[in-house]
Amino acid sequence: MADEAEHVPAINVKEPLDLIRLSLDERIYVKMRNERELRGRLHAYDQHLNMVLGEVEETVTTIEIDEETYEEVYRTTKRTIPMLFVRGDGVILVSPPSMRAAI
Amino acid sequence: MSRKEALSQFIQQIHGRPVVVKLNSGVDYRGVLACLDGYMNIALEQTEEYVNGQLKDKYGDAFIRGNNVLYISTHKRRAN
Repeated sequence: MADEAEHVPAINVKEPLDLIRLSLDERIYVKMRNERELRGRLHAYDQHLNMVLGEVEETVTTIEIDEETYEEVYRTTKRTIPMLFVRGDGVILVSPPSMRAAI
Repeated sequence: MSRKEALSQFIQQIHGRPVVVKLNSGVDYRGVLACLDGYMNIALEQTEEYVNGQLKDKYGDAFIRGNNVLYISTHKRRAN
């Protein structure tokens, strides 16, 4: 049959960006470069993962070396931002709210 | 089988399989591959984040932006 030649393999039609689409208007977790994490409500996104987030909590983790003991000290700094535009190239991972209790 | 077919066949075969995704930063993500696209953006289920071989975090679903991906492996992660 002619259909045979055009046979499309039965892979899942779902694409990764659908995961983001299903998270619209939900609170999501975003892992960014430079040890930054964002938790906020996803208002909009595009194919580059540029995003508009609302009621954002940004967590920045820095590693400091204790001058006396030379131990690595992880310090987290948090701040809240009412509305934030995120450039997509800094994004590493996006996780929807499901199964994440402490968002 | 052409080389191109071998590649697309691999990609078809790993859907729904447990995979290890390594990022350029060295961080590993273990999970079930839900799907991936031409940018190598990846959707994982039951994701576990390993930093230096240690479990650091878990995500129910995770979207990984393709530019960070070093490789996708179907091998079970070796115990270390």
